[in-house]
Amino acid sequence: MVFTHLHVASGYSARYGASLPQELARRAAERGLDALALTDRDTVAGVVRFAKACAEAGIRPLFGVDLAVPEYTGSGYASERRDRSAEPSEPAVRRRSPARGGAFVDESAPRALLLARDRAGWAALCGAVTAAHTGPGPAALDWPDLARAASGATASNTAAPGAIASNAAASNAIASNAAASNTAAGGAGAGLYVLLGPGSEVGRALAAGRPDRAARLLRPWRELFGAALRLEVVHHARPGTGPGSLRLAARTLGFAAEQGVAAVLSNDVRYADPGRGRIADVLDAARLLVPIDGRRPTALDGGERWLKDGTDMARLAEQVAEAAGQGRDGGRRLLAATAAVAEGCRLDPADDLGIGRVHFPEPDQVGAGHRGADRVLRSRVTAAMVVRGHHRERRYWDRLEQELGTIARLGYAGYFLTVAQVVDDARALGIRVAARGSAAGSLAVHLLGIAAADPVEHGLIMERFLSERRAALPDIDIDVESARRLEVYRAVFDRFGAERTATLAMPETYRVRHAVRDVGAALGLDPQTVDRLAKAFPHIRARDARAALSELPELRAVAAEDHGPLWELVEGLDGLSRGTAMHPCGVIISDATLLYRTPVVPTPGEGFAMSQFDKEDVEDLGLLKLDVLGVRMQSAMAHSVAEITRATGEELDLDDRAQVPMDDPAVFELIRSAETLGCFQVESPGQRDLVGRLQPQTFHDLVVDISLFRPGPVSADMVRPFIEARHGRSPAHYPHPDLEEALRETYGVVVFHEQVIEILHVMTGCGRDEADEMRRALSNPDRQGRVRAWFGERARERGYGPEVLRRTWEILAAFGAYGFCKAHATAFAVPTYQSAWLKAHRAAAFYAGVLTHDPGMYPKRLLLADARRRGVPVLPLDANRSAADFRIELVSGLWGVRVAFSEVQGITEDEIARLTAGQPYTSLPDLWQRARPSRPLAERLVQVGALDALAGRAHRRDLLLQLTELHHQDRARARARAGAADGQLPLLGAATGDAGHPRPSGLPDLDADARLGAELDILGLDTSRHLMTSHHAFLAELGVTPAGRLRSLRNGAGVLVAGIKAATQTPPIRSGRRVIFTTLDDGSSAGLVDLAFFEDSHDRCAATVFHNGLLLVRGTLQRRGPQSLSVVGTAAWSLAELAELRRTGGLAAVAARLAEDERGSERGSERGPERGARTPGGGVTGEADQGRGPLPESRRIHLATGYELHPWADLQPPGRRTADSRRLWHSSPGSAG
Amino acid sequence: MSTPKPARPRQPPKAPGASAPSVAAAPPHVLYLHLHDPAGRGRLLGAEPYGRALELLRGITPAVEPLPPDAALLDVRGSLRYFDLDAAGIAQLVRVRVLANLALDCTAGVAANPLLARMAAHGGPPGAVRVLDGDREVAVFLAPCPLLALPGVGPATARSLAGYGLHTVGALAATPLATVQRILGASAGRRLHERAHGLDPTPVTPGTPSRSLAADQDFDRDELDPELHRRALRGLVEDLGARLRTQRQAAGALTLTVRYADRSTTVRSRTLAEATAHGAALTACAYRLYDALGLQRARVRAVTLRAEGVRPAEHTTHQLTFDPGDHRARRVEDVTDRARARYGEDALRPAVLLTA
Repeated sequence: MVFTHLHVASGYSARYGASLPQELARRAAERGLDALALTDRDTVAGVVRFAKACAEAGIRPLFGVDLAVPEYTGSGYASERRDRSAEPSEPAVRRRSPARGGAFVDESAPRALLLARDRAGWAALCGAVTAAHTGPGPAALDWPDLARAASGATASNTAAPGAIASNAAASNAIASNAAASNTAAGGAGAGLYVLLGPGSEVGRALAAGRPDRAARLLRPWRELFGAALRLEVVHHARPGTGPGSLRLAARTLGFAAEQGVAAVLSNDVRYADPGRGRIADVLDAARLLVPIDGRRPTALDGGERWLKDGTDMARLAEQVAEAAGQGRDGGRRLLAATAAVAEGCRLDPADDLGIGRVHFPEPDQVGAGHRGADRVLRSRVTAAMVVRGHHRERRYWDRLEQELGTIARLGYAGYFLTVAQVVDDARALGIRVAARGSAAGSLAVHLLGIAAADPVEHGLIMERFLSERRAALPDIDIDVESARRLEVYRAVFDRFGAERTATLAMPETYRVRHAVRDVGAALGLDPQTVDRLAKAFPHIRARDARAALSELPELRAVAAEDHGPLWELVEGLDGLSRGTAMHPCGVIISDATLLYRTPVVPTPGEGFAMSQFDKEDVEDLGLLKLDVLGVRMQSAMAHSVAEITRATGEELDLDDRAQVPMDDPAVFELIRSAETLGCFQVESPGQRDLVGRLQPQTFHDLVVDISLFRPGPVSADMVRPFIEARHGRSPAHYPHPDLEEALRETYGVVVFHEQVIEILHVMTGCGRDEADEMRRALSNPDRQGRVRAWFGERARERGYGPEVLRRTWEILAAFGAYGFCKAHATAFAVPTYQSAWLKAHRAAAFYAGVLTHDPGMYPKRLLLADARRRGVPVLPLDANRSAADFRIELVSGLWGVRVAFSEVQGITEDEIARLTAGQPYTSLPDLWQRARPSRPLAERLVQVGALDALAGRAHRRDLLLQLTELHHQDRARARARAGAADGQLPLLGAATGDAGHPRPSGLPDLDADARLGAELDILGLDTSRHLMTSHHAFLAELGVTPAGRLRSLRNGAGVLVAGIKAATQTPPIRSGRRVIFTTLDDGSSAGLVDLAFFEDSHDRCAATVFHNGLLLVRGTLQRRGPQSLSVVGTAAWSLAELAELRRTGGLAAVAARLAEDERGSERGSERGPERGARTPGGGVTGEADQGRGPLPESRRIHLATGYELHPWADLQPPGRRTADSRRLWHSSPGSAG
Repeated sequence: MSTPKPARPRQPPKAPGASAPSVAAAPPHVLYLHLHDPAGRGRLLGAEPYGRALELLRGITPAVEPLPPDAALLDVRGSLRYFDLDAAGIAQLVRVRVLANLALDCTAGVAANPLLARMAAHGGPPGAVRVLDGDREVAVFLAPCPLLALPGVGPATARSLAGYGLHTVGALAATPLATVQRILGASAGRRLHERAHGLDPTPVTPGTPSRSLAADQDFDRDELDPELHRRALRGLVEDLGARLRTQRQAAGALTLTVRYADRSTTVRSRTLAEATAHGAALTACAYRLYDALGLQRARVRAVTLRAEGVRPAEHTTHQLTFDPGDHRARRVEDVTDRARARYGEDALRPAVLLTA
């Protein structure tokens, strides 16, 4: 028995649907259904995945949307929203705003279901969704917009082809199709079906037993949609007359017959399988922000809303018909009407949604009206050849001809011009732009000014980026200054117009932490418990919650607790949508028909038009997506350059080779010293280790370095042979002399994609485009065999011996997908070099830039410590000298960095603007009156010493007191003013008298600790001295080794180290184990200590390391090279806790704490065997640091390259990656404020 | 009730005002008593044992100022002669009597004024008598005390003083008066500064306590249903009203405390138009308090209703109305009270409180 579900919400309905479209399509096919609709609530975001899943499952997709349509108010179209129970005559009830807990989520608006019948219907539907999301409050479609959708379904038949006609190049198919739908669309409401179900106002009136009212409410719908209107019958066997009850279903059926409107049957599906009703309850609770109330069954889901098969639905139809007194025949008629609607929906995903076709902007949008995009592109790049002085070089011309030929044959010239246009517009705004990705390999892209590095000079090839064999759209990504990314977006919107442009959506799906929070709240668990549970997890998928609990050592304590059904429900939420955000970097640029193909919604905050589709969807929809990534390092460098110009007048252009030559020895010396904190791409602990070993000498070395530091090369062990060969410790090996040219630059080690392409090209004689296709196939285990056969055959034909073939193939196979695109690495190496240049030559400006835009992985306070260490004075906040951002300032012949106002906690942009506008100030009252800071802000400024220079002999506490008085005077004055009706000013002699320096108060000044505490509280930065200095006495008592002394110790020495956590990672490593890498900043001159915790120590250490900012660690010293030194941790404690014990209880308390810990770990190892039963080999302690992993073999991820990955590696671990400097300071009575 | 003690040479009292104004110008004569469970289990003292304790204390001296629910101030100047003991001796005596008669322990502070007596009592382990005598001793005792220990210093004042580096009573005492007044204002500054020096001019004023009664109900889940909230309030009003009426008391005001899932609370008070124990008036007041919160999604875990300003019913007035309904309601209430007294608490309840 075949049945089509017309009303199906998927997991794309935020916090509503409980199954993803793929699952729905698969189940529908399994249950013998041959078509299925997707009608998400307020969104069509799931349609592309749904269409693809349906194609895979072999069923026909139908598309629709479930929208809120506020009640029709009779006289004209009123958009007023009303309470669910309110009669139209009754005035809306104004509720008091709640003292606590917030107001109920308003879902009272009645809903209607729109189904697209054809392309025009889809356009109308897109328009309706767009209209529903304009305006404040929850999405709702007002009547005028509904009317427009009803008529627009036909109107767009004329409008859309009109727009398309101007874009003749884009598609002829659209026009012919539109004509076809024109004939199908007859009369009002054509193109759409409208279903009114139990949630509609008609359904509600029927549920309330008011068929008269239902008839009245039905009238406007009939006027708009006529024959396209259906009433939806839903039978969930619920009691009463509410939605889902048999009585309402029967009433609806009867009412439909009476009114002469066809009724259809649906199951109002929310999930694919029975038994997921509880997930739906959790989603309802999460959406409405209330706990699940099990006492009222009507508020619960009921568990019936799954994808029932045809037989079940036929039985339900019969029951409804019988209850309505229509007998067996009625049931059959109901099913037939449902089938007819399904039949009437003829929207084809490929033809009508535009899946699989490309929509570039019209040529005239990129200055290529009648001349043709190809000719415009050719003239632009030719001109650039001359400008850049390449026009005398034959190889450039050959290369360009070849590229232009490819572009022309593919018809992508418009695309290149579009990107070039965006880059030009951004540059015109003075925004730094850089290319990234494989596009940097194209000479045309370089000549258009998009990519800075010259591909010919660096040996980059076009085929990695674009070839006639590649089906996918080419991808040109550009990096812009992060702080000005939205300006670039606005420029794009202005250039191409709102009808062609939209930003991309990024669905926020449930992962474990949010799932724990929402399920916990739904179940009414204690909020503090929920918070603790959520924070305990690393950032993993929700469906892995129970696996993580049983396998991760830091979750052992949590796993022992009993939380009832929590974990099961948490896993059930995995991957479901909980909202949508703007994608951080994508912009769609299309032709004028964009809004007929995608609904757009305003982004929260910026108000950009955002397509409901996400990154992958728009590629499938053939929409041109331009990735505009905000790179904070670009902003940082822009700020550095601007500061240099402001302070010295020097006009620096980082992209100018004359000013910034690419072979500056000082820059490479800096990089080789591994003092690369704050430099783009080479600042992570792993990278500092790698540059220390690799010792780069040239720009090319940087390119290699960036390529090597990837999970792939690391796991494929390309690093060691490369370094050995590079330092001449082992000769470079080439599988065959023919390959020497391709591999010479990397000493015989394959690092780049381009080298694989070259190897295949040389050995098989195929074209580079074909070689690139084969390279892609290498990463796919299914296709690897075919590549191998092809390679062996072709290479044998060209006379290579079996030994050469075997060795070459080994290299290729090991390489897999894990090389790196040289073009991308080259593009990345440019900002890397530029930032290192700034650090080497303009250190103060460099720090000002990175501190302002916070580009890296380290906290600002660490960069500040780095600046201090490298001899750049750190100047404290000063009301008269600081600016909104970090500035450079000349102090006694040295350029220093001045702390910015923006670092002050809780300061607003307006306050910053007033503070800087009023400079200079003569006294605190002067600042108070002219800059008008809030009292807490003024107090913070005083506490961190921003007004010390204005205070004369008074100290900070005197100033605080003066501030209090100023505040009281202001209030008194305000009161007096309010009281004085005649507007006469009160006498203020006393108040104005003590302007200037405050009287000494006899209060104690802030001591050094209080000052440091204030700095950390307020700025999050220890500007006056290093935070760890306050712990030095205690650390000396403990016998902690400072970082600087570590170098003098022998390998394997046992040490105690301490510091502030600066970085934590659990990267994937070759051995397939999970290693926790941590960097501690101990405040000594040497700075940082790198730590590694192997799996045998995780039981004891993982939770401590993840959840604490200040750490004390016991470990053994391990040397790996002259610059490379690390400590393997065996035990870790919270230093903050120990220091507090020392302060309050003396050394005895510390000893007691440590002793307790030792006893605890003894017990832990006794428990080992029990745990071992669950996880074989688990918890074995006492072995050497590389002990066996506590994981069953099957859980390891085996890579095609023969290496293993730990399943929990490469996740963001729980806790904070770096210490939160605002929380490092104990809130002792000594702290100020 | 008390047996005279054997005679002992009495220490001559210092002449007031003989020397420069000092803290202990008078000898210690104020007792602060904190009554508690001898086992130190921290149980709240019931109203009834507290009443008996006050009675016992009034046998020592008529100058007893009750500080409900579990403390009292005594001025024993008049009793020194009678018992022929110094104040510390009387404190010991009181402790023994309270233990023997009521099975309650007490912690006593003995000093020259209520402030110091109270701080002395709180400044150490329970079940002891602590005496503060002499300027030096007072200064040494006060200096390290945290500001919060000083009566009249709440968290907000303590925070604002801590902002100026003042954390202890000693630091506050050492700060010039003018500076303290600049921080806290003239009168509050002077008062606290005096207190930091151990000065407290307030006398012990005998009287009866202004009492309060409380009833609370916990919910075993996050409760959002306003009907259930109101039902809980109705039950609390029934409870409070019945207790007030049986004790022939009337409440002057109601305080509603709502506790939420995150352990935060909202507190709202409302003064009744006239002090009453009448169920209908109390219910209306409680509902108004609740409605004023306008709760919608708040996850309520408990509600507490407290009757404040409880006073004897015969001292209250009642506005008569021409509405016979009011009169009838009160008559019905009398009847139900009597029925309950005879047949038990659950004999008669409002229908809304009946649960299936």
